[in-house]
Amino acid sequence: MLGLHGVGYRYAGYAGPVLHDIDLTLADGEIVGVVGANESGKSTLSLVASGLAPGSIGGGLSGTLTIDGVDMAGRPLHEFSTRVGIGFQNPATQLSGVTGSVFEEVALGPMNLGLPTRETVERTKAALATLGIDQLAEREPRRLSGGQAQLVVIASLLAMRPAHLVLDEPTAQLDPEGTRLVGEALRGLAATGTALLIVEHKTDLLDGLCSRIVVLDAGRIVRDGPADDVLADPRLDDWGVDPPSRIRLGRALAMRDLDPALIAGVVGS
Amino acid sequence: MTHLALEGVGFVYPDGTRALSEVDLTVTPGEVVAIVGQNGSGKSTLVRQLDGLLRPTEGRVLHDGVDIAGIRVAALAAKVGIVFQNPDRQIFAGRVRTEVEFGPRILGRSANEAAEAATAALAAVGLTELADANPYDLGFSRRKLLTLASVLAMGTQVVVLDEPTTGQDARGVARIQRVVEAIATAGRTVIAISHDMRFVAETFTRVVVMGAGRVLLDGSPADVFAESAWPTLASTYLEPPLAARVGARLGLGPTPTEVSLVEALVEARG
Amino acid sequence: MVVLALRAGVLGQLVRVSLLLTMPIAVSVVLVSVFTRAGTTVLFAIGPFDATVEGVDFAAQTLVRLFAISLSIGLFLMTTDPRAFVFDLERRGVSPRVAFVAVATIEAVPALVERAGVIGESQRARGLDTEGSVRARLRGVLPLIGPVIIGALTDVEERSLALESRAFSRPGRRHLLWAMPDRTWERWLRWALIALLVATAAARISGRI
Repeated sequence: MLGLHGVGYRYAGYAGPVLHDIDLTLADGEIVGVVGANESGKSTLSLVASGLAPGSIGGGLSGTLTIDGVDMAGRPLHEFSTRVGIGFQNPATQLSGVTGSVFEEVALGPMNLGLPTRETVERTKAALATLGIDQLAEREPRRLSGGQAQLVVIASLLAMRPAHLVLDEPTAQLDPEGTRLVGEALRGLAATGTALLIVEHKTDLLDGLCSRIVVLDAGRIVRDGPADDVLADPRLDDWGVDPPSRIRLGRALAMRDLDPALIAGVVGS
Repeated sequence: MTHLALEGVGFVYPDGTRALSEVDLTVTPGEVVAIVGQNGSGKSTLVRQLDGLLRPTEGRVLHDGVDIAGIRVAALAAKVGIVFQNPDRQIFAGRVRTEVEFGPRILGRSANEAAEAATAALAAVGLTELADANPYDLGFSRRKLLTLASVLAMGTQVVVLDEPTTGQDARGVARIQRVVEAIATAGRTVIAISHDMRFVAETFTRVVVMGAGRVLLDGSPADVFAESAWPTLASTYLEPPLAARVGARLGLGPTPTEVSLVEALVEARG
Repeated sequence: MVVLALRAGVLGQLVRVSLLLTMPIAVSVVLVSVFTRAGTTVLFAIGPFDATVEGVDFAAQTLVRLFAISLSIGLFLMTTDPRAFVFDLERRGVSPRVAFVAVATIEAVPALVERAGVIGESQRARGLDTEGSVRARLRGVLPLIGPVIIGALTDVEERSLALESRAFSRPGRRHLLWAMPDRTWERWLRWALIALLVATAAARISGRI
């Protein structure tokens, strides 16, 4: 269980806070989507939830961040890494750049934890298997496609065995094939019991994947509820969020007195 | 008005990788063309042929019937402006306005003309209020809009956009749609690479599908997203927009956009 | 060294690279030492400059030394995987951070070159003339350097955040997955070479002083 309680955050060198009074919990095994316009604070929320802000980049945090009931204030960063992993947009800058094979890349985290070699190997194999990329083990990380590289990044985080994973627009820089690869992997991850907090513009990707969705607007949570309710909320447009295709299409049909159920059979097929 | 033509263009990188084969493409002034296809299908290599950043290893590229081989990139840039994918590979100035004025200045416009062009371009992308900000204080999506403004200010007859909607929210995408429409209305040409099929179907009148360095399909959104084209799309991992799939399922024929789907439904109901 | 390079299959490449690297220095060394070194046996004269046997001798010695140094550095870089080298350093007790910075620096060079290429492209597409006069090219330096540096910095920032998420900052030793194959004869050879080095140095010093 990861919890933000009354959290505000201000970047170092900036006058005003970017997040205000955030209350958000991520229960074990839960999958929560975060949506909002550009500059609404989504990425900042990811950094705060994973301890990187202020842990690595500084700045001022108010309120508390708890993981499994423990107040994480002042804890060293490596303690976060086994509790909450964070992935970003660009796979290229997340790969360490110092390993010669995917296997070594995924093993880097467990190795950093000082684990015995046998366990490092075991965790690495398990993480690759969970994402279905065992066949990439011997490949050179820099020669992977964007989608494959992003899967390797997620596997590297999984090998740390965190109970929570925060992903900040994991498909933003991927082509349709890469997006499909990562989307499928996220569905598979959901089944392993890892709690996921996914920041995304692509509501089509969140639709059917998340149980809950949180909407950010100007650094505040303006909506938090079951995915189906939030995605159908007519205020999404005002918050700068594009509803999923099936919702928009359903609305267009309803406006012309057509039955939105016409599209039901096509979505998800 | 610049008329672009690629005739039998092939391209092989110095390391021997073939990126383009036998590409024939003509784009007339005022057209808005989307180029789609998975990464590595040759889209980026193709647009780099248009202003001479890469020169064809086979075939030729013509501007208004003139082969551009031997014409310097700096001269071609006055006709074809390219907005690249990653803003951080381009932005260098400490002030938004300076960044946007750079293009027109280097093309030889006077300081006044450049300032005017910059003001108009910043207004078009909605960054007027940030004209004096430091580009690196802006978020990713605004830095991307800034690079779009920088090329708009050059006033080129052809504007090429590489993945313009990456990282943009609904408002950003709508803004880019308006910019594309405005350029076309002025009789200028837009060529955009995009992975976003809904954006493509709703914004462009012509779609070129690339796969393995070749043009697989070239037609209107209704043509390339029609059911008969789906196997070709699937070969380069593309999925037609939801509206097109619904239209096909309901036997309504090609309905690439939500508007065309609803129209077809209303018509079918009589 | 020639035998080693031949065994590794890099002799041709090694000689080419070494010659290329030493050429500019070699030319100046030859010119300066042949004509300006004081000597008694004059071979020939060009204007006020005399070429002496002593000068030629000195130049030849310097050239051989230069070439030897560049050959050995070249051979090391061509036959040693930087990652293997640094992981071995870490196994010998160098801190993982130092080791990482060392590898990352070596590995960052191709990425930097690639980035500079992309930046060059995007500025040329904006009309920056890199094919024209020297003045035009000088004017184009700033728009290239800025993004290269800023881009490199933001990449480093992103990469360090990603590494933090993988416990990179955890103090303490790691159990490395890989051990460098280190055969007994290699260990003996290493010690023998070190002994030879010490002996040669000692001989030189005692011979001179």
